[in-house]
Amino acid sequence: MTLLTVDKLSVDFGRGATALHAVRDLSFCVAEGETLCIVGESGCGKSMTSLAIMDLLPRIARRSVAGMTMGETDLTRPGGIRAVRGNQMAMIFQEPMTALNPAFPIGDQMTEAYIHHSGATPAAARARAIEMLNEVGIASPEKRLGQYPHQLSGGLRQRVMIAMALMTSPKLLIADEPTTALDVTIQAQILRLLRDLQKRLGIAIIFITHDLGLVSRIADRVVVMYAGTRVEEGNVAEIFDNPRHPYTRALIDCIPQPGKTERGAMLGTIPGVVPAMIGDVRGCAFRTRCALATAGCEGVIPTHGTGSHQWVCLHETTLQEGTT
Amino acid sequence: MLIYLSKRLGLSVLVALFASILAFSLLRLQGNAASALAGEGARPEDIALIIQTYGLDRPLVVQYLSWLGDVLQGDFGTSYFFRSPVADLILAKVGNTVILALASLSIALCLAIPLGVLAAVYSGTWIDRICVLISLMGQALPSFFLALCLIMVFAIKLRWLPASGDASWRHFVLPALTLGYYITPPFMRLVRAGMIDALGNDYVRTARAKGLPGYRVVTKHALRNALVPVVGLVAVQLGLLIGGSVVIESIFALDGLGYLAYQSIGYRDFPVLQAVVLLLAVVYVVLVLLADLVNAWIDPRLRVS
Repeated sequence: MTLLTVDKLSVDFGRGATALHAVRDLSFCVAEGETLCIVGESGCGKSMTSLAIMDLLPRIARRSVAGMTMGETDLTRPGGIRAVRGNQMAMIFQEPMTALNPAFPIGDQMTEAYIHHSGATPAAARARAIEMLNEVGIASPEKRLGQYPHQLSGGLRQRVMIAMALMTSPKLLIADEPTTALDVTIQAQILRLLRDLQKRLGIAIIFITHDLGLVSRIADRVVVMYAGTRVEEGNVAEIFDNPRHPYTRALIDCIPQPGKTERGAMLGTIPGVVPAMIGDVRGCAFRTRCALATAGCEGVIPTHGTGSHQWVCLHETTLQEGTT
Repeated sequence: MLIYLSKRLGLSVLVALFASILAFSLLRLQGNAASALAGEGARPEDIALIIQTYGLDRPLVVQYLSWLGDVLQGDFGTSYFFRSPVADLILAKVGNTVILALASLSIALCLAIPLGVLAAVYSGTWIDRICVLISLMGQALPSFFLALCLIMVFAIKLRWLPASGDASWRHFVLPALTLGYYITPPFMRLVRAGMIDALGNDYVRTARAKGLPGYRVVTKHALRNALVPVVGLVAVQLGLLIGGSVVIESIFALDGLGYLAYQSIGYRDFPVLQAVVLLLAVVYVVLVLLADLVNAWIDPRLRVS
């Protein structure tokens, strides 16, 4: 069952020839209970995509979308997003250090939205908060409720954020780089926690990351984004075992693989940075960094593939023959 | 907390003491009280007599210590000019000034906080510009001019409110409005800047992501954090206001501390001036301490363990 459908989402800053296109005609859907990973380098529009879904874009950004629905709810209507946001659809962020309000105890921050959405009594909301803190593995939750964010470590704060997001039993959790700001051991814990929670509660997750190594550990399906647009999409096996877009391939080459990568060997890098998509954009955005680029890459780029695995590249055959 | 409080209190006493020393010595540098008391054309013998009566010929340190000793026993001396105990003089006037100060501060906050919040939420739009304009006018209009305009309209034309005196609460409306509007701009600017800053924070995005309605995000999550610097300014402004506003008190014939101090300077009435300065120093120190406590309540990160 499809839970979330996003059809031709674009996010622009400014207008006309100087407009910056942060997200361009991005379409994807999320099924109930699955994890969709959106992968790409910094600046490729991942976070803008997640904020656009939640209608949390900065005021200067312009969103246009052909259609966006969650279940029966039309998210393009103000009433639609208001009914769903923070209720059926929750979000956690990259920076747990700043995402909680320093001025209020975490119990207050956890319960306020729950009370708003469900009309529960403060006592019931408190009980729910304790239950959720237990759920995310926080010891002595009663004590934590009275504490302020600055009294908690980064890992604990991210757990609190997750618990807070789960208060209303959402069907979809958008996690925007939730482990990036944490150190490695905590990262692994948070990742395991998210996976456990998903199994137990059956929530769908949109996991946004630049780290392809994480993707292989949690994703069901993957959307690879480059310069604001989708370049490849497939389930996790298709992406890792048979990457078709040169960008996906380059990203995978950047991950060290035990047993495969030789000791002392150089890891892959992609030279250059994601170009800013300004003004009238045409052709494949990756052509400036792509080893396979030809003159044809400035024209219309076809989408290949059928079913779950799709990619957007001029060179269908070159990659099938295998260049690496 | 107790240790912190007692440290702060100790520091406060020191500051008040220092202020009184400064006031004492500066006043005596300013001129001779005896000749002012004796009046123009006084004979040298009269002046000498006055100097002896008031002990003005003693060394400064001795004069100061004897004054301080009296103050600590609750005796602020007798006014040279009014010939009545300083404590009575001040007590008679301080009420008016405090009422005026609190009323105008309340008016200023009631104007500045909504205007600042609106300007920040709609920053860069015409709503922002109108809010900034309203507050800027308060700064650009001289307070005496606004006072005269208000008197013209509300006291003379409409006859709704009295133009001068301090007999009832109605006498305080116009001066409080004038003074309140006059001190609004700095508060408004601070609220606006603080709110723009707070609204850009991650926790505001989190609050929105939780699906809280917009007004709750603004008035709860952002405003609370934007108010920290405002509290500090409240302390400073309230201190200034309790020092009295000579202009406003004169225009509205509100017999307050500001006018008393003004008169005392003219008459070189040292005991009154010293007491006023000491009172203001103490008020300031107490207000700043209170502001710190309020801020610790607003922002738990400022609480010292």
